[in-house]
Amino acid sequence: MTLTLLDELLLFSGVTVLVAMLLGRRLPAGWMVTILYGIQLLALMKMAPLGYGGEPISSALTFEVMGQTLSWRFDALSWYFALITLGSALLSSWYACGEWEQRFRQSGGNLWLFHLAMTLNVFSMLILLASGDLLSLFIGWELVSWAGFLLMAMAGGVATKAAMRYITYAMAGAMAIFGGIALVYVSAGSLQYEAILTAASQMSTAHLWMLVILFGAGFGIKMGLMPFHLWQAPAYAETPGPGSAFLGAISSRMGLFAILLVLVKLFGIVNIDSLKIPFTLIDARDLLAWIAVFTIIFPTFTAMKQNDARQLLAWHGIGQGGYMLLGLVVADAMGAAGGLLHVFNHATYQAALFMAVTAVIHRTGTADLNKLGGLVVRMPLTFMVLLVGIIGLAGLPPMNGFVSKWLVYRSLLNEGMPLLFVAAVIGTLGTILSVYKLIHNIFLGQLRIEHDNVKEAPWSMMIPMLILAAIIFITGLLPGIPLAWVASVQQAVGLPVSDYTLGGVESASGSLDMIWVIGVLFAGFGIGALIFYFAGGRSKRVHQLDNYAGGHFLTADVRYQYSDNFYAGLMHLIGGWYRGSFLWLEQSVKSLVEFLSLGMQGLYRRANAEFYLLSTALFVIAWVVI
Amino acid sequence: MAPMELIIELLLMPLVAFVVGMMMVLMMRRIAAKLQRRIGPPFFQPLYDIVKLHSKQTQISHGLIHDIGIVMAMGGYIAAETLLPVPGMTGIAEKGGIITLLYLMMIPSLGLALGVGQCANPNGSIGIARALTAMLAYDIPLVIVIFGVAYAAGTTNLVDIIAVQQAGGFETWGAVQMPVLAIAGLIAMHASLGKQPFEIYIAPAEIATGPMVEMSGKYLGGLFVMQCFQLYTTSVLYVSLFLGGGTTWFDFLLKSFLVLAIPVSIAYLFPRYRTEDLLRLMWKWPVMLGLIGVAFVL
Repeated sequence: MTLTLLDELLLFSGVTVLVAMLLGRRLPAGWMVTILYGIQLLALMKMAPLGYGGEPISSALTFEVMGQTLSWRFDALSWYFALITLGSALLSSWYACGEWEQRFRQSGGNLWLFHLAMTLNVFSMLILLASGDLLSLFIGWELVSWAGFLLMAMAGGVATKAAMRYITYAMAGAMAIFGGIALVYVSAGSLQYEAILTAASQMSTAHLWMLVILFGAGFGIKMGLMPFHLWQAPAYAETPGPGSAFLGAISSRMGLFAILLVLVKLFGIVNIDSLKIPFTLIDARDLLAWIAVFTIIFPTFTAMKQNDARQLLAWHGIGQGGYMLLGLVVADAMGAAGGLLHVFNHATYQAALFMAVTAVIHRTGTADLNKLGGLVVRMPLTFMVLLVGIIGLAGLPPMNGFVSKWLVYRSLLNEGMPLLFVAAVIGTLGTILSVYKLIHNIFLGQLRIEHDNVKEAPWSMMIPMLILAAIIFITGLLPGIPLAWVASVQQAVGLPVSDYTLGGVESASGSLDMIWVIGVLFAGFGIGALIFYFAGGRSKRVHQLDNYAGGHFLTADVRYQYSDNFYAGLMHLIGGWYRGSFLWLEQSVKSLVEFLSLGMQGLYRRANAEFYLLSTALFVIAWVVI
Repeated sequence: MAPMELIIELLLMPLVAFVVGMMMVLMMRRIAAKLQRRIGPPFFQPLYDIVKLHSKQTQISHGLIHDIGIVMAMGGYIAAETLLPVPGMTGIAEKGGIITLLYLMMIPSLGLALGVGQCANPNGSIGIARALTAMLAYDIPLVIVIFGVAYAAGTTNLVDIIAVQQAGGFETWGAVQMPVLAIAGLIAMHASLGKQPFEIYIAPAEIATGPMVEMSGKYLGGLFVMQCFQLYTTSVLYVSLFLGGGTTWFDFLLKSFLVLAIPVSIAYLFPRYRTEDLLRLMWKWPVMLGLIGVAFVL
């Protein structure tokens, strides 16, 4: 048996888990693990032809279980997601090395568990991405779920509670997926992708509906699609800093990977399009699109109300997932490219944002947006990273988030879907409001007296952040780099491919060339700076308390910062619309389960033989009669 | 196109925008004066104001981001002008399109928001919070309108959108083809100018002019320049979407000034709305009109 490139990668990943497990208690464990992630990334780079339309690589390892062959393989889709996974793992792990690690250990955190959980997450994700049939997909899926649980639960307390909620959802999702797999086996007679691909076109409507619902719900839970989104934000926010950067960047995208693989590639978007919902004008694809836009809007506006920076970011993570699904469901060349590109873009800025917020927590001890302010003068580089990140998140030029959202908008425009288009823009506007609140309340406004001695984040944390900021900008300037990978993913899953250039997209109905747009933008800034600095008088820097206060004098003990209830005017109107309906829904499901279990318990705890006899007899009679 | 020609266009387009924008500020003040039975300022007053503000002796800076915010506010608009075709010049309009222009126009607001935030004055921050809320209010009808126009023209390329309208003279103008969308667009455009009754984020009586509270000297001068660009961009965008752009400079400028005169005239007759009333108004009437208009287009 000769090892293929894929085997090498998985082997390195397994070794990383072992190193973290055996040597994780020694001090330089963080650096060792980080270097090993680097080696994994190199192994992945050896498979780089996959990202440019190369032939899939299979693993030499296969199993026979009950007549089913289990196999593993990497194609463009797996490679693209693996690249994002390993990239975010490498940078998050690098970020954790050094000062953050020491502080974490001093404050009673279990560093061994942290590294182990991270390495397990990466390993299981790679296994999932490499799955070559539905059975190995399910195995990978379960591994990812439990590894995620380990990382989320390790902080204890609130985190464990959030993680328990996650795993409840995840198990329900796994049940749905398992049901779907069983159904596929019944109809296709095999769990191999090729067999399903041929069987899919002959499936009955009812059958296909069932599969779309089961797989959609199962994978959708991981993505945090409405109405299964409640678990995600608390779970990600409570994970230790670098862990939440990693989870926020890639973890829930595994759901998108699975949706792409099963719903788009195997069942085919055209088949899904033919599923009409009776008595309405919409079909299953429209339904998915609307789920996507609700996933954009509701979590985004929930994020706007958060007062904890990590919660705010985590809620946005759910919302941004909606853009990816929306683009994929539209499924024309531009939409699919936008949705897929957004996976990469989101990973870069979300990791950078979580890292920047963690750096603020590292220095000030809080992420409460009402207890910070004015930190830009103390942590200018972290401010810059956060600024780059929020421009990416809000999807404004010149950062990469703009390109992917532009592609999604364009596809909605091309296909003539005004309501979805408007809904997508509402999400973006809500994001702008929300991220301004984030950067304002942390870095702008009045510096608190207790933060007067705060220092810039340490270099061990700064360098990964700066690398991410650079990636966000460069892939915004030259979106052709990731678009090349995206194009081969589109090819691999059978979607139309867009006509991309290094600077953007070429199209008869309106192109985009970011090199020109950004070039002109910076030239504009240059002219603006010339006017400002040379055409005007010299400015004098004043202290922050030297400020207009309506005739009063300001002193350091006066809190002169506007942070709470930031969008008061907006909340006057829409505040009443936040009803917590989904929390209510979740509660009622929980109560129902509790009630049922109480009833069951009552039944057999009583041990009333006559009652059992009577009810069995009645049941039998009823059955015979009917 | 020869590179030299393109560079000249890229330099000329913002310059023209600035000069025309100053004249628009003048027109705005003259209209206000007429309505209030005053004489109004002389022709060069906007230029005098900019020079005066830049050359003041006292220039108060609250930090680097305060400075950068002003640079971004001016620079963002300078860049946006090169995406907005004018008679005889298209700049890089074909490389971006209308969606890019719409998002590029948010960069100055973002710069201003950052700069004001650094000033550490709650009046300014409240002003920005209100300004962003206003943006959430008027951008929703605006994107519906833009969707309708772009879908009807089958392109997001502004040059093509203008060409489609000019193809058949007056009858193929956006405003004639899609009158409902044109009305919705006018309302949204009025709100985007931040003039009464929508000047909730300036509100001198409530929040001491909001974003401008800590701006003095060239900082205020920068905002003045920004306003010139804003008036120009908004009216020219409307002319390009609905009034067939301009074939000659004369009708181009005539249309732009006339379009701008409508909201400006209304502005000086009205007091101010509250924030939530602005949202309610914007999300009800122009959105409804916009959706009806889009339904006609589809």
